Amino acid sequence: MTYRHTTRYHLRAAFGALVLAALALPHPAPAAGAGHPETVCIECHSSLPDRLGAPVKLWRSSVHAENGISCNACHGGDPNDADDAMNRSKGFLGAPKETEVPAFCGRCHPGVMKDYLASAHGLALGKGGPNCVTCHGNHQVLKASIELINEKNCTRCHSFERARAIRDAMQQTESSIVGIDARIKGFQAEGVDTERLGKGLFAVRNRFHTLFHEVNVAQVKAESAQIDAELAKLDRDLRVIEEARARRKVAGGFAVAGMLLLALLCHLMKKSFD
Amino acid sequence: MLIKQMYDWIDLRLGAREIVKKQLTGYLLPARINEWYSLGSVLMVIFGLQVVTGMLLMVYYVPDPEKAFKSITFIMNEVPYGWLIRLCHAVGSNMMVAVLFLHMFSVLMMGSYKSPRELNWLTGFILFCLVQGISLTGYLAPWSQLSFWATTVATNSAAAIPVVGPYLVEFMRGGKLVGPPTLGRFFAIHVVVLPAVIAALVALHLFLLKRTGISRPPEGTKECRNPTPTGSYSYESHPGGVPFFPNYALQDLTSICIYIAAFLAVVFFAPNFLFTPDAFVPANAFLTPAHIKPEWYFLANYQTLKIFPSELLGLSVQVAAMTLLALLPFIDRSPERNPLKRPLFLTLAVGGILLWLGLTIWGHYS
Amino acid sequence: MANESRRKFLGACLAGATAVAVAGAGYPVLGYLAPRPGKVGADKLEFASGDIAAGEAKFFEYQGTSAVLVKTNAGALVALSAVCTHMGCIVQWEKDKQAFLCPCHAGHYSPDGAVTAGPPPKPLAKIPFSVAGGKITVG
Repeated sequence: MTYRHTTRYHLRAAFGALVLAALALPHPAPAAGAGHPETVCIECHSSLPDRLGAPVKLWRSSVHAENGISCNACHGGDPNDADDAMNRSKGFLGAPKETEVPAFCGRCHPGVMKDYLASAHGLALGKGGPNCVTCHGNHQVLKASIELINEKNCTRCHSFERARAIRDAMQQTESSIVGIDARIKGFQAEGVDTERLGKGLFAVRNRFHTLFHEVNVAQVKAESAQIDAELAKLDRDLRVIEEARARRKVAGGFAVAGMLLLALLCHLMKKSFD
Repeated sequence: MLIKQMYDWIDLRLGAREIVKKQLTGYLLPARINEWYSLGSVLMVIFGLQVVTGMLLMVYYVPDPEKAFKSITFIMNEVPYGWLIRLCHAVGSNMMVAVLFLHMFSVLMMGSYKSPRELNWLTGFILFCLVQGISLTGYLAPWSQLSFWATTVATNSAAAIPVVGPYLVEFMRGGKLVGPPTLGRFFAIHVVVLPAVIAALVALHLFLLKRTGISRPPEGTKECRNPTPTGSYSYESHPGGVPFFPNYALQDLTSICIYIAAFLAVVFFAPNFLFTPDAFVPANAFLTPAHIKPEWYFLANYQTLKIFPSELLGLSVQVAAMTLLALLPFIDRSPERNPLKRPLFLTLAVGGILLWLGLTIWGHYS
Repeated sequence: MANESRRKFLGACLAGATAVAVAGAGYPVLGYLAPRPGKVGADKLEFASGDIAAGEAKFFEYQGTSAVLVKTNAGALVALSAVCTHMGCIVQWEKDKQAFLCPCHAGHYSPDGAVTAGPPPKPLAKIPFSVAGGKITVG
């Protein structure tokens, strides 16, 4: 009987196939999901035409909607009772005037409001300067990113030179921060104690975010340089961990190879007795 | 030689030569024995490794909800080679279940559960349940979000039992919800109770194995029937067969080395295979993470409970399946052991395995 | 016979490889269990002069072991190891007698650590210290 058709062969093949199948099972990954009940504002305005209904559609794709922040969070009023939803004595604020916009948004974003009011843009409020919604939009507010500093937005009032310089200085820092954040999260998922590094990055990131509403080019460049230095320190710490991990993998390679060699020796020894 | 003198000294007092001849060099196994028979010794090595790594972890681990997670972070980051011991223990527990499935598969295929080996199957089945129990109780020890909520989901399933269900759940948890009392009792069960019971059952399992004798493997398409029962006990011997020592002992060693190589490969190169990010966030009793799932070997159970509209029905179906599996030697009484000559069994077994695999994969993606 | 010599060779290789494997497994375990250095404590400790009154003794941990600071009635300061030189018990300060007594086997020491009675073979080890501007620095 040839080797291929023995029960022995079939059994060995089955063994191998099962092991391979087991190894192919993919790694579980959690997913996110959240649902919020609708406010009366949305319920009513979503069926209104033109100017009165358009904000709802815009709001639905916003970062505010994603996080359950509805109309009443900015415009006030009762979100559950249609009778009081637009009642001024119950806190309804209506649409803000141009100069009222920063205070409107600043109720939840006080830090940003402070930075903006201290900047050249803030000082020009009401005198032809931009307010929050000029760049961020009013209903379709998306998660803030460096993309907001672009030629289309900024050239509405002046040339793009200074804005470009600011953007270039910050782009580098932004991608460093994102990269370091990814590495820290990767290590955390491996059991590394990332508390100190995580806190360090959090502090640097907050410091960097206060720069977003600063329009003085020299100021931005100087702060960015300091922040880059902080990030370089974090990067060094992460590299130490990465190097240790690489050494572990090498040791692992030797260990696995060693065991396979032992298996081979045992097997050959066994054959010598057969 | 000194070794010969030491051997003689022991032989004079214990009759060592006689034991070696009877249990090792003179213990004959079927001539056509194959590699699948070595899975049992691989399982014993895995158990041994779990005990050793578990003992080492206990040197630094603190079973208190305030300190448990921190002590494991300490082991993973500060203690030299702590990460290695911890990962060996975590990966090893999954490997034990995987190799146990392979062992069960070979026993099913070769019909080694049939008369006169029913007791062996029963003790093995109980061991299977105990291994699931020790994995479940060990899972809570790190007191991470994953530990806490997976234990909540798992202990909740008993609530479907009529009359005593809710009380059983409270009894298991030591309270209405998973909390400090749960950690206390799970730790005691995981570290002392179950290892002792498992060790005792393994000893019984081995005794039964040796007392009955090793079964012959089925061959090709030939019939392979167990000897008809004669009405009195008889040992299944294999004259002209292969000595356990050194021949099959070396096969055992080869399988063990291959297992350790695969095991170390996972430990060093893919430990994250088994951890989700939730495993590294401390438990928060007030925040349930979005998608809590049990470990891979419980996914089929989890999915079954999700399919049936009534939890009691889902639970009963699983209890029925496990009971059928436990009583298999009493249901399948035909003496034929070659899987190719047992078409009904083969269909049901392969069907059952595919169903389990399907439920597991569905459970993973649902 | 070729088989015999092959077995001997394989046996030798196996023995060698097993020894390496055992060493490879044993080394991390030993490292894991070995007592860790590092957190023994700072080399120097500071106290305020007002912390300790005349005729009092203050016990503290210094470099991983027990130590004591004594201010005699005359105002003299001494820093000593509080570990009895007999069998390692921690000595106690007797305020009324202004002396150290070891509770284990009744070893007696004077305030500057010399053995006055009992089994201790050597005086209490002295620890260097300095006083500057209302601060006592031990170490």
